[in-house]
Amino acid sequence: MSVPDERNDVTSRGVVPSWRRPELALALIVLGLGVFVIAGTANVAAAASTLGLGPRFFPLLVGAAMIVIGICYVVDVVRGGHGDPEESEDVDARAPADWRGVGLVSVIFLIFAALLDLLGWVIAGALLFFGLALALGARDRLRAAVVAIILAVATYLAFVKGLGVTLPGGLLSGVI
Amino acid sequence: MDSLNLLLDGFATALTPVNLLYALMGVTLGTLVGVLPGIGPAMTVALLLPITFNVPPASAFIMFAGIYYGGMYGGSTTSILLNTPGESSSMITALEGNKMARRGRAAQALATAAIGSFVAGTIATALLVVAAPLVVDFAISFGPEDYFALAILAFTAVSSVLSRSVVRGLASLSLGLAIGLVGIDQQTGQARLTLGIPQLLDGIDVVIVAVGLFALGEALYVASRLRHAPPEVMPVGRAWMGRADWARSWRPWLRGTALGFPFGALPGGGAEIPTFLSYAVEKRIAKGPAKEEYGKGAIEGVAGPEAANNASAAGTLVPLLTLGLPTSATAAIMLAAFQQYGLQPGPQLFDHNPALVWGMVASLFIGNTMLLVLNLPLAPLWARVLRVPRPYLYAGIVLFAALGVYALNNSWVDLIVLYLLGLLGFAMRRFGLPVAPAVIGLILGPMAEIQLRRALAIGAGDVTTLVRSPVAVVLLVLAALALLTPLIRKAFKA
Repeated sequence: MSVPDERNDVTSRGVVPSWRRPELALALIVLGLGVFVIAGTANVAAAASTLGLGPRFFPLLVGAAMIVIGICYVVDVVRGGHGDPEESEDVDARAPADWRGVGLVSVIFLIFAALLDLLGWVIAGALLFFGLALALGARDRLRAAVVAIILAVATYLAFVKGLGVTLPGGLLSGVI
Repeated sequence: MDSLNLLLDGFATALTPVNLLYALMGVTLGTLVGVLPGIGPAMTVALLLPITFNVPPASAFIMFAGIYYGGMYGGSTTSILLNTPGESSSMITALEGNKMARRGRAAQALATAAIGSFVAGTIATALLVVAAPLVVDFAISFGPEDYFALAILAFTAVSSVLSRSVVRGLASLSLGLAIGLVGIDQQTGQARLTLGIPQLLDGIDVVIVAVGLFALGEALYVASRLRHAPPEVMPVGRAWMGRADWARSWRPWLRGTALGFPFGALPGGGAEIPTFLSYAVEKRIAKGPAKEEYGKGAIEGVAGPEAANNASAAGTLVPLLTLGLPTSATAAIMLAAFQQYGLQPGPQLFDHNPALVWGMVASLFIGNTMLLVLNLPLAPLWARVLRVPRPYLYAGIVLFAALGVYALNNSWVDLIVLYLLGLLGFAMRRFGLPVAPAVIGLILGPMAEIQLRRALAIGAGDVTTLVRSPVAVVLLVLAALALLTPLIRKAFKA
């Protein structure tokens, strides 16, 4: 249930021609995925022994529906339709998008994913938290570092020792 | 009174010291995480899934019940004390609740929300006890074509109700359905859409999708548009209310419950519509000084919607437990939790695992009581949680998201998938695609496929098998109506 208000205007301020609106990319992704679902399952061999429908039937339905929905979505965007950007407690829907923030968060997360096995949860997790906190605007580096280390060690102890979840020890294997 | 006996057995399960501890842990964690701004009930359950990876099923579901109700309580605290729009189901509470807090009546707003949630939750859980066996008796005769029709109804209802734009709801749904196709086909063992990546053979785990779309998507979205002025948190003491507030609150609680429970049980119903309706009803029937107060902090405008919100949460459990049909994103993630234990909710679950089901239902009563005790005196503590600096909050959310996802398979590939889904969640937020249809499509898609293939196999490929049962016909007609209603409404407006 959305309460209409002036926030809706953010994406449709009219200066950008409709065919260059970024939402068009998302609509085209839906359309493209529909094609991909059909093409990607085209070579799935249906075992001749199966009674009824093979593994390609349902993807065909989903893919076809996606193509129809994707076309409708593209048409809607080109004709100037738009959704309401989601509202959340910490989001200023009126602010212009800060791509630097998104980029930084992305880079930090991907580096974390690449190094987690090598460094182990405690070190990689602490670095992830520290990096993200600074990227999102934490000023006090020392405090961020202390919180990062406490959180990483505490989650490791709670989940690995307490709840029996497996997390990589990495460089600190045997130390903790 | 067969179900009464089963419920008493359920209490016997839930009242063991260990399970009481799990319930307490669940409600505390649920409230704590639910209070955190930016985290709705669906994300709360998704983020806390890994905690139960190694817990026995009965205890795990007792904990989940606590997390589920706790997340609801936490959300209302946030919307009353923070003057910013939040997730849609608690947005209505914020309308009057925040105004009350501004006038120095935060304690009363929190009290009517907490007590109202308790009253509504208890009544609605009792209704669940009555309704569930009835639905089970009815659903035991459902054939595969009926389940397929039910899934279609859930798909169209959730897509068209939750979004102002039907095409965006459907786009979200189709993204979820497509993600659900990835992996080995359960009936023939053929790999589909895995791009040759061995880690994708088992499919993309629901936890990864939910955490990616909700948690990482939210973090990226916040990174793109962080509110720079720190949000204002209203000061509050112990939550309490006086005689006059009680007199003004109890009727809205009951009316809210009556609205919330049935809507929660309907596909696509969710919490948004009943909370909104409850607010509208209370505002319309208000008389005298109370009417003047609307827009300035009327307690009825908090009591009614909060009760409706919690009653709908209990209502959601009826189709979830009896049919395996999730009607909200939160319910979809709960369903995923069942599947992690190899359990499929539905009529059979009541037959095969009565201890688990009724233990969970009993713990809903217990958890609700715990939450009341936890929320009234501890309101100032929860208010302090709201002051967590935002950079730490979102860094912490991503840390827990990564933990939960990595712990599934100990694979960095899952983290990359998580990131890609985070980007998708970000785009969906930015362009106003509702996330719930995607999660429901992902979870119900494979079930719909199995039932469709089963139905057509029984009917030897004859498509009319799908409409041979009257139940299926009714459900499919309702599904079409759900899809067409917004279009018809639009046509009339134009």
